[in-house]
Amino acid sequence: MILEVNKLRKEVSSGDSELTILDDVSFSLEEGQSLAITGPSGSGKSTLLGLLAGLDTATSGEIYLDEVGLHKLDEEDRAILRKEKVGFVFQSFELLPSLTALENVMLPSELKSEDNPKENAEYFLNRVGLSEREHHYPNQLSGGEQQRVAIARAFACSAKILFADEPTGNLDPKNGQVISDLLFEVNSETDNALVIVTHDLELANRCDKRIDLKLGRIVE
Amino acid sequence: MLLSLSLKLFTREVRSGYLTSMLASLILAITIVSGISLFTDRLEQALNTETEEFLGGKLKFESNQNSIKAVIEDLELEETSHMEMVLFASVIFSDDEMQLSSVKAVDNYYPLIGELELKNSAGLFKVSSNPEPGTVWMDERLQNLLLLDYGDEIFLGDAKLIFTATIIYEPDRASGNFAFAPKTIMNMLDVESTNVIQPGSRVEYNYLFNGPDEEIVKIKEKLEKEKENGDDIETLSEDTSSLGRTVDRSENFFLLGGLIAVLLSACTIGIASQRFTRRHVGYVAILKTLGMTTFQIKALYFLLFLYTTLLTLAVGLSLGWLLQSNFINLMSSYFPTELPVPSIYPLFVTCLTALICQFGFIYPHILKLLSVSPMRVLKDDIAFNQETIPVFFIGAIAFLFLLYLYTNQLTLSLIIFLGVVGFSLAGIGLIYLLLGKSETGLGASSSLKLALSELRRRKLGNSFQIFAFTIAIGLSLITFSASKNLLGSWQGSIPDDSPNNFAINITDEDKNGMESFFKENQINPTPFFPVTNATIEREEEDQELIDRNFNITWIDQLPEQNEISDGAWFSDDVINGLSISESIAERYNLKIGDKVFLKVNEEIIGTYIQSVRRVNWDSFSPNFFVIGHPSLFKNVTSNYITSFYIPTERQQVAAELMREFRTVSVFSIEELIDQVKEIIGQVTKALNSILLLTCLSAIFLAFSALQDGFSVRKHQSAILRTLGASNSLIKSSALIEFALLGVISGTLGSLLAYGGIYFIETKVFETTANFYPEIWIMGPLIGLFVVSVLCFYLINGIIKQSPKELLMR
Ligand SMILES: Nc1ncnc2c1ncn2[C@@H]1O[C@H](COP(=O)(O)OP(=O)(O)OP(=O)(O)O)[C@@H](O)[C@H]1O
Ligand SMILES: [Mg+2]
Repeated sequence: MILEVNKLRKEVSSGDSELTILDDVSFSLEEGQSLAITGPSGSGKSTLLGLLAGLDTATSGEIYLDEVGLHKLDEEDRAILRKEKVGFVFQSFELLPSLTALENVMLPSELKSEDNPKENAEYFLNRVGLSEREHHYPNQLSGGEQQRVAIARAFACSAKILFADEPTGNLDPKNGQVISDLLFEVNSETDNALVIVTHDLELANRCDKRIDLKLGRIVE
Repeated sequence: MLLSLSLKLFTREVRSGYLTSMLASLILAITIVSGISLFTDRLEQALNTETEEFLGGKLKFESNQNSIKAVIEDLELEETSHMEMVLFASVIFSDDEMQLSSVKAVDNYYPLIGELELKNSAGLFKVSSNPEPGTVWMDERLQNLLLLDYGDEIFLGDAKLIFTATIIYEPDRASGNFAFAPKTIMNMLDVESTNVIQPGSRVEYNYLFNGPDEEIVKIKEKLEKEKENGDDIETLSEDTSSLGRTVDRSENFFLLGGLIAVLLSACTIGIASQRFTRRHVGYVAILKTLGMTTFQIKALYFLLFLYTTLLTLAVGLSLGWLLQSNFINLMSSYFPTELPVPSIYPLFVTCLTALICQFGFIYPHILKLLSVSPMRVLKDDIAFNQETIPVFFIGAIAFLFLLYLYTNQLTLSLIIFLGVVGFSLAGIGLIYLLLGKSETGLGASSSLKLALSELRRRKLGNSFQIFAFTIAIGLSLITFSASKNLLGSWQGSIPDDSPNNFAINITDEDKNGMESFFKENQINPTPFFPVTNATIEREEEDQELIDRNFNITWIDQLPEQNEISDGAWFSDDVINGLSISESIAERYNLKIGDKVFLKVNEEIIGTYIQSVRRVNWDSFSPNFFVIGHPSLFKNVTSNYITSFYIPTERQQVAAELMREFRTVSVFSIEELIDQVKEIIGQVTKALNSILLLTCLSAIFLAFSALQDGFSVRKHQSAILRTLGASNSLIKSSALIEFALLGVISGTLGSLLAYGGIYFIETKVFETTANFYPEIWIMGPLIGLFVVSVLCFYLINGIIKQSPKELLMR
């Protein structure tokens, strides 16, 4: 079991009232499986993803990521856990603008002090078809290309689970298709688990499992 | 890993220009601080050496009798060397001529400091010894007046001596009362054979000491105890030469300019680091997401921060070195020798300044960065902790530290600090209120409406922006006024027709003759001041002696360049009393009405302090510490002293005068005046470069403040243009808005400058405040012009980019 979620609840205080964004969310995911999280805008998808990836803390409930109880870890330990086991792809790419494509891809492996970050990064850049562009900066790349760099970065760090928040959301349908194909292809070559937040039903249907959120709750 | 990542980030940031304004301000601040502190440090050292040479040692004991000799011989001196000299005036005869000369007899230890430059038939040469027994050296004037050639005999009293060399330069020029008559230097061993020194003749015995400061202090204490009425001890610290004061005051100005430049840069650095932080929020979120720990992120930014310091220190120090060597070059003609290498202090001040700037104005922003939530990668709009109070607080503390570092006075720093904080709060509050309430809608129908609504809409941001402009303009104006004031006081102090000749030793008969001589030749002398030597004693139970031999004069009219600061000048119904200078009043704690005795020759005159005068010692006319009422001196015989101006092209008149009045000593101070004028000219150049640098830092500040405002504007103008607003609407509305901002801040800046000038001139420099009304016009004009031009530059940059490009970012 790579991911196990029990009665997850997230509240935020807005002004003087408490707002419940997620309530009673429970599910689990086997190693190497893929999961789609869908739901209308504002239903809490990004919030959930943030909690699963250990970017944020829940109000109550439990999350086990690769058997580690995320809810018991502090910020520093969660950072280390992310470094070791988690990869990300975001809607807005989130590359460091002052590093080249190659350097961005190398960054996670460098953080892990892995042996040959450069070869590894070059392999994955090549895998996403950007070996020609490895010395370009993010602002010299199109959105689709930036997202491909982000995918290369996510896979280059040999994570156990990959989180993607609307990876195709900022792209046109054609590029979106390319990106989702890439995601699944590369994923099948590794045995990562994959969690994708998406509006795109086609993308959702390619996943092994799917949960649908509405107003912060899972609807069957 | 961190090391390479941080280096990568740093070089890329520098190259992409994001750090430019921060680096530039830091470099500018460091350049100014190091340049100024290096320069003043070296200048001070050089002046110390100079005054040491001028005095002839580190300590000089002056006495009219030689009773101290035994005490001095009993001093157990370890590392201090000392010498003795005797000064007197005597008429010297050559075969054909005779002339009054001031004679300096020196022992074998002469000179204690420096070298003499002499000339004989073989040419110029330098020595550091006294003349051989039986020989004398004379200055060129005396040589010419006596028509002497090297090897000629002269008669001094009963002694026959040989003239062997001309004095071109002598180190201890500050010697005593006779210093201004043409000079003769002789060996001490020959003094007895002249038989010139008889009981009752006017002689001055000088003892000079040179050695380590600690021992000098001990000698001073000892001599202080032993000294008698009329003896005087002089040390280096009492440099009251015209040059010394000129340099002193310009040093004050340099420090003020430096402080202002640093404060301006500090504001720029603050703004720049805020922008840096805003840009790096995204970085930190990504790095956290990728699993970097807080510690690693902290280390990463600490390294970035370290590189900034090192880079700016290296560049700033090199530029500072260039700056000071430029200044030194300006002054080099004045200093005969190589300037001493600077001490370690300037380096210390510079590094400390850099550190305070970093920790006060950059580090707090970076600390704030660390609290960024990694959730930002999922939700772009997640609020970034905008808590600014602690950042401001730390900035304020750093500001206070800087003030203290530069003024070295806690109360002064606190006053300035509270003044600035008070002004800031009041100013920002006022601007906030002034801008009024915004109406609904952007008012995009006309550029004026758009501009006004923009001004109101971003009230708080604009208040800060106006505040930054105000500080920039106000501080520049303060520097401008201070430099103008300084220059004005110098230029005023040496008018073109200021006396360039002094005549002393004028007898009663000479006086009448000279007066008609002056009339014939259309020369306008200052009054003929009668002069005599007197001591003053306080009439109290303890009969405290006022330990000094004064040259005292008596006159009805308050001399020019003198100003009564306490009491009243003699009037018709006051026929008694003394007027003393402020320095004497302070030194001996004499107050109006204090009863004193004057001892003139053998006569004792009872009188009291009638007024205290402020004397302009920079003026080249005879100045007196003590002026008495003429009625007190009816029975006193005296000489006269006067000064007058002879244009350079009529110098033969001076020669004529000397020939006609042989016993009168006429000496020219033309060279001294020229020297002072030259130095003033050179200091002016240095002054202007400081002013320029200060203005440069002000422009940096204005630019960063604007740039900051423009990042918000960029997005909005892109949207407006997408919606169909024309470029010219956006351009003109921005121009109007910023012109208005400029005028408002310019006016406030003038206000700040007025307050600041008043405070600085009266409380810090302790002079009367001089206001320049043109400031009221300059402030708003500069504001209007500078802000509009900068705004024009920035808005053009925006308009060049397509709205799509802007919205993509
Ligand atoms: N810090 C917060 N304070 C207040 N409300 C919040 C906060 N974070 C999230 N919310 C609210 O929680 C709800 C869920 O937000 P979330 O971003 O998870 O939705 P989402 O499903 O990702 O929507 P979208 O598809 O538009 O990205 C929204 O209504 C949002 O307004
Ligand atoms: Mg979302």
